[in-house]
Amino acid sequence: MGDIWWKADPHDLHRVVDRVSSVYIERSHLDRDENAVVIVNKKQTVRLPAAMIAVVLLGPGTRVTHGAIRLLADSGTAVCWVGEQGVRMYAAGLGPARGAGLLHRQAWLVTRPKERLSVARAMYGMRFPGEDVSTATMQQLRGREGTRIRRLYRAHARRTGVPWDGRVYKAGDAFAAGDDLNRMLSAANAALYGICHAVIVGIGASPGLGFVHTGSAISFVLDIADLYKADYTIPLAFDLAAKGLREERDARLGLRDSIAETKLLGRIVTDIKALLAADGADIDAPAVGELWDERLGAVPSCVNWADGSGAFPRDCDTPPDAAPRTADMGDEHIAVIGPEFDEPADPPEPPR
Amino acid sequence: MTVIVLIAAPEGLRGHLTRWMVEVDAGVFVGNPSRRVRDRLWELLATRIGDGQAVLVERANNEQGWAVRTAGRDRWRPVDYDGLILSARNRR
Repeated sequence: MGDIWWKADPHDLHRVVDRVSSVYIERSHLDRDENAVVIVNKKQTVRLPAAMIAVVLLGPGTRVTHGAIRLLADSGTAVCWVGEQGVRMYAAGLGPARGAGLLHRQAWLVTRPKERLSVARAMYGMRFPGEDVSTATMQQLRGREGTRIRRLYRAHARRTGVPWDGRVYKAGDAFAAGDDLNRMLSAANAALYGICHAVIVGIGASPGLGFVHTGSAISFVLDIADLYKADYTIPLAFDLAAKGLREERDARLGLRDSIAETKLLGRIVTDIKALLAADGADIDAPAVGELWDERLGAVPSCVNWADGSGAFPRDCDTPPDAAPRTADMGDEHIAVIGPEFDEPADPPEPPR
Repeated sequence: MTVIVLIAAPEGLRGHLTRWMVEVDAGVFVGNPSRRVRDRLWELLATRIGDGQAVLVERANNEQGWAVRTAGRDRWRPVDYDGLILSARNRR
């Protein structure tokens, strides 16, 4: 092992808020070439500015080398393996080169009833524009949400002419219960959960710490996805049912197209930031580890505290943080998709 | 916006820089790194450029609107004409 000068220090990395939200890759290889992360497919080679990207979404037909993952981890970039355009999330990886600011903030908010309630209210508030939710109880909010959703179902049933007689579903199994429309809705919702899950992991929040939902390993994913069902999955399910489409794949593809068209990924990032850092708290300081202290909050690590003075060794001096800048991330979502597979030149011999 | 030009850079340096910026032409990098990241990248380039040359152009609050930093062996040299930055080429 030679000199690994290319390793990034936490201070070399952009805060997650300052990054392009996501790059989606399909039908390509991800490799390392001369310290660069490269996307290679039959048509072209693209170098990926990993340190400027929050999450790389690997779609169908991708292959990744160990070298590429090593560089992505070093750049503080999250990697998620997903279905087409992010619908359905299979697995995720996140390197150590990250601050825990957002995670900490989320844990802090979720464990304090007063703060948790205000985040939950804000989540509902996003769905009732122009209404005051600042004094509503969770019970009142649940009731209003139920009324809103019921109204939506009825309005879309009128719009598309598809009969609607109530939502029936079995959690986790899109085809277990209900009519075609219910099944399409479940399938589209499952796909939406995948997208939200990938983004949440990608920006370093926890999928498990929900505010409205609780108990499930994807509670926060369910919270976030609920913000978009009215705009995405509900109209989509009615549209598909009106066209007589009834396959789960139709729901996935329909959602995928509308997500790409409306740049939902960026919006999700912006919304999560707004919910977890409503008071402008800096949730994204560089990932310099500290030691917790019950009176002082935190003290520097890399220090031997045995003599009580905590003198810094020279090589561990940390530069002062830059002044916080306004976040401008979340307006960009990039897709790199390889060419279609070639048709085989000759049809294969029929078996004899 | 920041532009970096690398001439005769040692192996691996250009590839490394593509993790932060986009290489729009051979050795020409464009991006929007924050001040802190920019300074850190420059530190690395300056120490590793060796006999090549690195030139960094960034926005600045002066009459011209930009400033330049160079490192490595000077092929192009910024010269200051009463506050106006011009570029000089050594004769010979």
